[in-house]
Amino acid sequence: MSTTSLTDRLGSLLMAPVHLLMRIIDIPLRAVQKAAGIGGMAAVFLAPNMLIFGIFVLLPLVINFVYSMTGGTAFFISERNFVGAEQYQRLFTCTNYLDPMSCQEDAFWTAVGNTFWFVVLQVTLMIGVSLITALILNRDLAARSFWRAVFFFPVLLSPVVVGLIWKWILQRQGLLNFGLYQFGIEPYTWLTDRNWTFIATIGVSIWAHMGLYTLILLAGLQAIPKDLYEAAEMDGTKPERVFRRITLPLLAPNLLVVVVLALIKAVQIFDEVYVLTGGGPGTSTLYLTQYIYETGFASTLRNPGLAAAASILMGLVLVVLTLIQLGVGQRSEKKGKR
Amino acid sequence: MGEITLTKIKKSFGAVDVLKDIDLDIKDGEFIVFVGPSGCGKSTLLRTIAGLEKVTGGEIEIDGKRVNEVSAADRGLAMVFQSYALYPHMSVRQNLAFGLENSNMPKAEVAERITEAARMLEIEAYLERRPGQLSGGQRQRVAIGRAIVRRPTAFLLDEPLSNLDAELRVSTRAELAALHARLGSTMIYVTHDQVEAMTLAHRIVVMRAGKIEQVGTPLDLYNTPANRFVAGFIGAPHMNFLAGEVAELETGTATLTTAGGHRLLVPFSGHSLSVGDKLTIGIRPQHITLANDPGSLKVKVRLVEALGSETVIHADLNGEKLLAVVPGQKLISPGEEAHLSVAGAPLHLFDRNGLRVKGS
Ligand SMILES: Nc1ncnc2c1ncn2[C@@H]1O[C@H](COP(=O)(O)OP(=O)(O)OP(=O)(O)O)[C@@H](O)[C@H]1O
Ligand SMILES: [Mg+2]
Repeated sequence: MSTTSLTDRLGSLLMAPVHLLMRIIDIPLRAVQKAAGIGGMAAVFLAPNMLIFGIFVLLPLVINFVYSMTGGTAFFISERNFVGAEQYQRLFTCTNYLDPMSCQEDAFWTAVGNTFWFVVLQVTLMIGVSLITALILNRDLAARSFWRAVFFFPVLLSPVVVGLIWKWILQRQGLLNFGLYQFGIEPYTWLTDRNWTFIATIGVSIWAHMGLYTLILLAGLQAIPKDLYEAAEMDGTKPERVFRRITLPLLAPNLLVVVVLALIKAVQIFDEVYVLTGGGPGTSTLYLTQYIYETGFASTLRNPGLAAAASILMGLVLVVLTLIQLGVGQRSEKKGKR
Repeated sequence: MGEITLTKIKKSFGAVDVLKDIDLDIKDGEFIVFVGPSGCGKSTLLRTIAGLEKVTGGEIEIDGKRVNEVSAADRGLAMVFQSYALYPHMSVRQNLAFGLENSNMPKAEVAERITEAARMLEIEAYLERRPGQLSGGQRQRVAIGRAIVRRPTAFLLDEPLSNLDAELRVSTRAELAALHARLGSTMIYVTHDQVEAMTLAHRIVVMRAGKIEQVGTPLDLYNTPANRFVAGFIGAPHMNFLAGEVAELETGTATLTTAGGHRLLVPFSGHSLSVGDKLTIGIRPQHITLANDPGSLKVKVRLVEALGSETVIHADLNGEKLLAVVPGQKLISPGEEAHLSVAGAPLHLFDRNGLRVKGS
């Protein structure tokens, strides 16, 4: 009895300033409601959020679009001259449309090509790896939550840290070469080999992000009732058929979400690769975001207008992917309701 | 064939013994019902028979062959799950076909079996629907259909009716009995509901805490419960228990006194009682009648439930609770005194350990 009354008293003590604040806020809000009406209050409450969204998302989007129509190296828009679609034209000027090297902006098309192959390979492998990991983690395995944490941990790391960790492992005097040396294998310059760096960027980004997708797939697997597997067991269903006819179809909504999320994230790949390889050697791991960043800010001959145009194009790709995701989400929601 | 013999079945999950030395013979074609309080191990026993759980000890034989190491699929049994466990992304037809396709059965035979089962269960009209588009009762039929098409030697059903509403449960119960009569296969049925057990079973297996308390026909269990637990578990409302003591013993009769000093005469022909023995006297509420004569039990009425066709009287007999179910409508109200008679009622005597007294 005395403990409850004590906590009660503590509670009301803690709540006192809140109540006071509420009473103070009440006065102007009442006035606002009188002016805006009950229906208008929804807009009033949404306004702060929409303001933030407007300032940090919508406005930059519009400004970016305006930039893509201007030329010169100046940063301030007032000092830039309007050039219309010239920047887009420049991106698409090629002598031979089948050969990126023949384009005026060959770096852009190299980045597009690299990004395309990166996305295709990384997403395919990512789905495979996280699905297999989720299937293993879904079993009655000793220390299951420990393993789950192990796979999720990299997701919590900052991309820069991820890049640095792997640089430390892969560099010439890094951990990998040290380990190989112990087995009598000659050290190798992994980060200066075009093929190996490409593979490394795929491997590292999978390592860094698979935890999230594994978790989504694991949640999907755990939502499949155990009974279904027991019914299949009673019927003598082979494991391969159980996977193909029961697990996969019931996991499909989660798989689609993972595919689209992974696609969007892969198209945007930048930070960990920038830290790990800097886009090199040469342009072998130059991806689209890095091209945009370097064109707009880092290169000596910076061209913010061109970077803006490239990012608008990339944005269009992402919009398409996002629309697919929204469609998929709605479809699986409808399925869930049935 | 569908003869199942369990010998000293033990099952533990880690340190918890869930089944303790279960012995049971199930004859071919028999309808066996497992009942018992929640958590007593009914489902676990069914699942060990099915092969979904490995036994820790003992032997399971089907038609004389030891099947402990035989996989669930090869035991020739079919299970109907409480949740139905229908594949939500497949049509009813695909659900029924799924198990048959595993054994590479010719398509024509699969189709034939589905048609036959669908007709038997009257689910032909929605073979192309998905489980999500069916009502609970229809889903339940599909679940049974999925078992039927496999032509199993025995059906295992774990609370198959518990997700249906009361009315549907009664009609489905009757259909299940008819289905059993028609198929003639062994059925093992788990339920909480003793009405289901009483109406469906050839023999009922009453379980408590991983042990079998009694096996017998429904009326055996009702008329001669082997112990206090079974006596209290079978029959609704459950049996009254009064503390008593043996006052006199004559050939053929024992005289008992209750805590309140009432004397009850019981036919008794055994040798296991002696004067002064403390007993529990069990009386079914339906066997108690309202009376006027002063020799009967004087009680205080606590609560009266008028159900129309019968009246349930909750009474207090010298501090012990007594429940009587009397036919018809009675003008009686709480707080009143009443006389209840147990003359002619079958009395069940249980000794100190709760076991039925031999010869009573
Ligand atoms: N996989 C398991 N691991 C550990 N304990 C379990 C497991 N399955 C069942 N048990 C325990 O075994 C006991 C019997 O469970 P069981 O499901 O057989 O009970 P039941 O008689 O079917 O109960 P109900 O009527 O509620 O369905 C319970 O105490 C339960 O907690
Ligand atoms: Mg159960």
